[in-house]
Amino acid sequence: MQRRRFIRRAGAGVAGLTLLAGCTGSNDGGGSGQNASNSSNASGTDGSEGANGTASGNGTTGGSGTNATNETGTTTGSASSSGTLTVATYSSFTGEDTAGNWLKSAFEAEYADTTVEFVTPENGVNQYIQRAKQGAPIDADVYVGLNTSELVRVSQQLDSALFQSVGDGLDRADTVKDSLRVDPKGRAIPYDTGYISLVYNEEEVQEPQTFESLLESRYEGDLITQNAQQSDPGRAFLLWSIITQGEDGYLDYWEQLVGNGVNVLSDWEPAYQAYMDDEAPMVVSYSTDQVFYHGPDVNMAKHQIGFLNDQGYANPETMALFSDAENPDLARRFMEFVLTENAQSKIAVKNVQFPAVEGVTPSEEFAKYAKEPPEPVTFSYDELAGSVGTWVEEWARLVAGA
Amino acid sequence: MGEAGRGRVTTLRRWTGRLALPLGFALTLAVLLAIFYYPVGSVLVEAVVRGGRLTVAPLLDVLADPFYTGAAHSLFTDPAGVPAGVLAWVRAGFSPVEFGLFGFTAYQALLSTLASVVVGLPGAYLLARYEFRGRRALRSLTILPFVLPSIMVAVGFLAMFGQTGVLNDVLGWLGLGEVNLLFSLEAIVLAHAFYNAPLVTRLVTAAWETVDARRVETARALGASPLRAFRDVVAPQLLPALLTAALLTFVFTFLSFPIVLALGGLRLATVEVWLYARVQDLALAEAATLGAIETTLSLGLTYLYLRYEARQTSMRGGGASRPRQAFIQGWRTLRDPVRVGLGIYGIPVLILFVGPLASMILESVTGPNGGLTTAYYEFLVRQQAATGAGTVKPLPAITNSLTFGLGTLVLAVPMGIVVSVVAVRGGAGSRLAETIMTAPLAVSGVVVGLGLLQTLVFGTEILGHRIVVSGAVAVVAAHAVAAYPFVTRNVTPALSGLDSRLLDAARSLGASRFRVLVDIELPLIAAAVLAGSAFAFAISIGEFDTTVLLAEGVNSYTMPVALERYIGNRSLGPSLGPATAMGTVLLAVTAASFLVIERLGGRWEP
Repeated sequence: MQRRRFIRRAGAGVAGLTLLAGCTGSNDGGGSGQNASNSSNASGTDGSEGANGTASGNGTTGGSGTNATNETGTTTGSASSSGTLTVATYSSFTGEDTAGNWLKSAFEAEYADTTVEFVTPENGVNQYIQRAKQGAPIDADVYVGLNTSELVRVSQQLDSALFQSVGDGLDRADTVKDSLRVDPKGRAIPYDTGYISLVYNEEEVQEPQTFESLLESRYEGDLITQNAQQSDPGRAFLLWSIITQGEDGYLDYWEQLVGNGVNVLSDWEPAYQAYMDDEAPMVVSYSTDQVFYHGPDVNMAKHQIGFLNDQGYANPETMALFSDAENPDLARRFMEFVLTENAQSKIAVKNVQFPAVEGVTPSEEFAKYAKEPPEPVTFSYDELAGSVGTWVEEWARLVAGA
Repeated sequence: MGEAGRGRVTTLRRWTGRLALPLGFALTLAVLLAIFYYPVGSVLVEAVVRGGRLTVAPLLDVLADPFYTGAAHSLFTDPAGVPAGVLAWVRAGFSPVEFGLFGFTAYQALLSTLASVVVGLPGAYLLARYEFRGRRALRSLTILPFVLPSIMVAVGFLAMFGQTGVLNDVLGWLGLGEVNLLFSLEAIVLAHAFYNAPLVTRLVTAAWETVDARRVETARALGASPLRAFRDVVAPQLLPALLTAALLTFVFTFLSFPIVLALGGLRLATVEVWLYARVQDLALAEAATLGAIETTLSLGLTYLYLRYEARQTSMRGGGASRPRQAFIQGWRTLRDPVRVGLGIYGIPVLILFVGPLASMILESVTGPNGGLTTAYYEFLVRQQAATGAGTVKPLPAITNSLTFGLGTLVLAVPMGIVVSVVAVRGGAGSRLAETIMTAPLAVSGVVVGLGLLQTLVFGTEILGHRIVVSGAVAVVAAHAVAAYPFVTRNVTPALSGLDSRLLDAARSLGASRFRVLVDIELPLIAAAVLAGSAFAFAISIGEFDTTVLLAEGVNSYTMPVALERYIGNRSLGPSLGPATAMGTVLLAVTAASFLVIERLGGRWEP
């Protein structure tokens, strides 16, 4: 599917007209927000050619010289936090009735004089890596929706830091589940996670118990997975197979799997569609499948969750603060807000993923239908760094050359 | 106005007449440079420059890699050993040879081209030689597949040819065994034929209709059998159009990307699929190298073809085209083997073309359990009324698409005609100039997109200012660049087929080249210009990759962009319903526009 997903610079206009100088460091308590900044940061953001004339004026705080009003009240005294926050994310995180839109309204309600704007570049974080390389302005404060191997890519592609470390400086950062803390450098803060598993039709096949059993002839042509080069679940499934088969054995394993007729489709959407159309009775998907699909007239036999080797591969989604954020204080507030219990429940339900924070129960229904694997597995940042690129490319050459 | 005044106006008019063509040429070149050559060049430079120095090492790396070039890699690693290797291979009894990614890509393109010609040619015969109800509408609609975003086509194919698809339902009902087509080379070839056979039909029909009736009659009067008249008179005039269509099909399917991704999967990857994956992984240097090789191959083909075409153009036009025969002649229809054959041909064509589209429409009104539903169209209405940030609304998408389509027409038609004039003028270098100006056809979309991203979208520093090109103007310019080669491909043959004596007469009476073009040539070839315009409009409506790159969010998304966004919308469950509903709207809007375009132009048709 995914027709060339190229870049889109959604029209967020020029973000944050009022810039707060002296806020680039950590939150160093009051005072520093006094000198509203002027030109230096703002230069270069404007496109010429008139095309960017849409600099949306909503929510900005008037004239440049004065300081923005301080509206805190909830958290301990720090610098002011009003203005426009630009959140870069993936497109399905925004729009009607999504986690992103809920966050926007709830955050704006809590912090007066703030506006949350979304940008949804088609190629995700690559957009910002390439911008940084080309010396183009970043134009965003927070990125929402990074996974571990994307973080690895960010570090490998750039000499300078695209994201700044927020580490333990965030309220509630310590409540994030240990298994999801993937970034040793404290840049990426998980806000939800999916567990990659099999979804199978129990009327058609018996549940395969292990990775090895997928090689049996009774499962010939029965599995659909996704391209690990560009699909999150596809990549997670490959990485999971590397955990079980070992770095030396996974290519042999996949050669046999290809020999057993596995279908490797581009992305989750076409793969799942093909599964729904009975092209094969098993598909690599998420263990929250039933949250989405349960219902009175749904054949639940087709939505069974299979945890191979009693495992599931955790694919945490994280958020990170851009080093060049124009509004780092507000961005931190936002990230803290995302980790609150209320927001965690809402994100889980609307984004159909598990909360990242311990002890949050989104809803009874969610608890009933979302399945957690007995043993979550995942590669840490350090394990992926240096290897993931080679693993994926060797795998892709094997499949494409078959 | 006095004498002098009138004289001044005439002089002015004469000057604009003289300058119009060179000016048009300069403008065309400028647009191409800005929107095409500069961005693409910036990518290709990465293929041959390492650390600021020119090098062929990256090219050799790719060519010497058996994964890319299969058995041919030894041409680059061990050229001296090639004869011995070939000998050994012959002795071993011509064992199967691996051709690598490039080999496979060319192989599937060849199959796809053959399939497109086989499916498309009888259609051209039918449309050119027979009269029946709906013929003109059918002829207009041959352009439709062209505009359909491949994701939509993929959905249609899944619904039609899948395990539980409509085709298997019908086969089961007829008591025949089921077919399992998806995720195979066959599926890719069929989908390519879906896209390109109508192109073959359209180009060949246009050529067939301009065959001079008098020459056929003369041949027959001199005793030639119908078959012989066809071979000696008609076929030579069809050949250039057929070859154009076949070459275009080959280049398109060689560069095929989304269809392979959607219907084949990674096991049937083409070069372009691989290139895209390298871009995703930000291995831009390797991507650029692949892009450079791919571009060289397809540009080479284009150049060879243009040379051939230049030699082929024969005298055409001027004479009346032959009258079409009625297709239906009561019971006698069933006794004519040709008519019966065409009728039988209609069955697979219906399955191939109407099937996927009908399946898509069916899907848009069918719920997950098979019952009728209007939920997906209600979804569109809700989207329109929604206030949430980032909501993609259907109405602006429709108006944007139509506006950009018209803008593309305004820009691409003159550009295309200018290039045609260059091509027809002949002389040294004109073939090369034409190739250079036709290049957008032969360069992969991923390469163009990548180049645009790194140059215009992020902005280019000029004298300390960052120049960013985005918004509607950029979208229209990009669409025009993609579309004008189709205007050229339609106009050039018609233009070169005009009787040169007519033009010489006009020139000798003092008309400028521009005047001759506007007053004499264009009216004579109005049908070809119109066909080209329809193509240009179609390209604009269906374009996705660059649009998504250049569109400024809320203000300039188009129907295909909206459609793609709805695929990701999970408010109605992970179903393609919302996307199929948007796809149906797209289908309706575009089908209607083409009928309008062709009807408006119909008065020129012979």
